[in-house]
Amino acid sequence: MGRVDVNGVSTHFQRLAARPSGGEPVPTVVFVHGLGYDSLASFYLTLAAPFAEHGIDVLTYDLRGHGRSARPATGYRVSDFVADLRGLLAELAEDRPVHVIGNSFGGTIAFSFAATHPERVSSVVAIEGEPATQPWADKMERTFGNVLDEARDPANIEWLERTYGKHHARLATAALRIIESTSIVADVPSGPLLGEQELRALHCPVMTVVGSDGFQRDDPYALQAVLPSCRTEVINDQDHSVLVERHHLLRYLLLNWVTEQEHLRWLGEVA
Amino acid sequence: MTTSEAIPAETALDDIRAMLLELLDEYGLEDGTEITRDTAFHEDLGLESIDLVALGSRLAERYGEHVNLAAFLAEMELDDVIGLRIGSLVDFVVHSTGRFRNRES
Repeated sequence: MGRVDVNGVSTHFQRLAARPSGGEPVPTVVFVHGLGYDSLASFYLTLAAPFAEHGIDVLTYDLRGHGRSARPATGYRVSDFVADLRGLLAELAEDRPVHVIGNSFGGTIAFSFAATHPERVSSVVAIEGEPATQPWADKMERTFGNVLDEARDPANIEWLERTYGKHHARLATAALRIIESTSIVADVPSGPLLGEQELRALHCPVMTVVGSDGFQRDDPYALQAVLPSCRTEVINDQDHSVLVERHHLLRYLLLNWVTEQEHLRWLGEVA
Repeated sequence: MTTSEAIPAETALDDIRAMLLELLDEYGLEDGTEITRDTAFHEDLGLESIDLVALGSRLAERYGEHVNLAAFLAEMELDDVIGLRIGSLVDFVVHSTGRFRNRES
């Protein structure tokens, strides 16, 4: 466990060193979690250890306002999260390009990070995550509205507890807490947003993994039409919770992805 | 054949209990909670998955990096992690310390 000050925010991170350690430089993967009740635990408890066992250095961290990082009242635009990722890598002297793997909003951060710091990124994987476009911003505003309506009604929290157990009820309450105590609802959808031109200029290799019933169910392959290099995997009979519910499958897909990208780089096939 | 020198289960339970009480204390939730093998990490203690991460760090500090909670949990299904009981954590510590010592001897 570690803690470091990034852009004035005390940030909790976890590193898992590649095994066996020492020897040749190994690839680094940064796992970025999603919004609301999410934290680095989603990755730490699923993919982090298998990646380290596979000879990859792993870094994951709690976004500002989440998990065990500090919760400032303001500063929740996508650009703030991008600056935090940049700052964390600098603080940890991680100066080689990294594979950024984001879940949900973590994927959004990964896309914006790649757009603004292309030299820092080997590849992007977005699990149920989209770039910060106008349609994405509209969707986020609707989602925030729904979460607020549902979590503010005690009857809904009681229903969650009866139906899914205390654990889920607590998660909903935690999401409400960050929404009500920060500017996150107003900040997140303001981006800054990426236009089609910026997406077409995003040259790093991208893989998107989406659930057939997830947030991108209307058009799971949409990004392939606009990004220069994008592969999409659709997981059948799966909603938005791809990471926690299908992590064994993700482990296989993502380890293959990182290994393949490293080989292509070694062969000089990708920048 | 080597003799296992695993941490005794009672010691592991005592250590884990002390670590959990510290975590609960951080949240102001420590109110004389009884922690046994049957206690459920999430449901009974009110702790979250981020607290499992903190517990993992403490276990590694106490016993060494070979007690790798992240690797143990990564093999479990979501429902099993949500329903995790303290007894499973104790068994995991006993098993990992025993395996490591056998390998070293």
